Amino acid sequence: MTHTPLHHAEILQDRFGLKVASRLSQGAAELPHDLSERLRVARLQAVAQRKRAPVRQSRLAGSVSADGSSAALSFGDEGWSPWSGLASAVSMLALVAGLVFINGIVNEDRANEVAEVDAALLTDDLPPAAYTDAGFIQYLKVSRHSTASE
Amino acid sequence: MATEQELNDFLKSVEKRAFKRSVYHVRDDEAALDIVQDSMMKLAEHYGDKPVAELPMLFQRILSNCTLDWFRRQKTRNALFSNLGDFESGTDEGEFDLLETFSGIDESEKVESAEDSTRRAQIFHEIEDQIMLLPARQREAFLMRYWEDMDVAETAAAMGCSEGSVKTHCSRAVQALSAALRAKGIQP
Repeated sequence: MTHTPLHHAEILQDRFGLKVASRLSQGAAELPHDLSERLRVARLQAVAQRKRAPVRQSRLAGSVSADGSSAALSFGDEGWSPWSGLASAVSMLALVAGLVFINGIVNEDRANEVAEVDAALLTDDLPPAAYTDAGFIQYLKVSRHSTASE
Repeated sequence: MATEQELNDFLKSVEKRAFKRSVYHVRDDEAALDIVQDSMMKLAEHYGDKPVAELPMLFQRILSNCTLDWFRRQKTRNALFSNLGDFESGTDEGEFDLLETFSGIDESEKVESAEDSTRRAQIFHEIEDQIMLLPARQREAFLMRYWEDMDVAETAAAMGCSEGSVKTHCSRAVQALSAALRAKGIQP
């Protein structure tokens, strides 16, 4: 096998480069102790900051993932299974029950608020200025008329 | 995915070379330590979950970028203040501390004579000096190609240039180093 002059020059160049690198490696191995220690501490700090891969969530149950302003209910990576279906159904039932419960509480609160306003109106003293109001006089007449007709 | 131990082993294998390479570029031990520390942190924080095989290339890119960032910061600072460090750096270059050299020698090297050891240290410092005199791109290509043992394609990818440029940089660096060392009567 013959080598072209160019190839030969590349071999010589690589050989020279590797010799220089070998000398550099020898010198770098003899770094002063304090520098070696500082590099070691820097390395340990870096390793302590190591990025870890995200921990996989349990695949048994469906999971709710949030991404910015949206959220999604998803199953695990292993596809549908009776257990995951059951877990999802239970989750959905709990969700619906919670919504019904919250709706009941809100309705009750609203009814209480209206009752409080009505009670306050009924128990409040009628201001004298009300008798100067034509609409109120008309209301009294109508209500009296309707009471008498009954 | 690299485990904590694998990441630690990788960084341990490259930290001294990375430090020396940074010193050749910035000519300041403290700055070089900062650059290497930043590079290690960035690798661990952002790419700690990558496979071990990808770490060398990622680290080379990060180290190059951190070195460039350091030069940019220096440029900005120099626009405001005169950099006295430029005049001070290199005062201990070429000096040889015999005790320091002997402190790192392992058992197998204890048979080496004092003369040989001195000669070896002198050659190392001469080579370092000549490497620091190379243009930055030539130095980077040469060190990646031969010291980091990266092939031409990997060096080109790490430097963000073509393979032809890497070959040209390496060839010129070898010629310059060879001529300078020959002139001083040094055979690497």
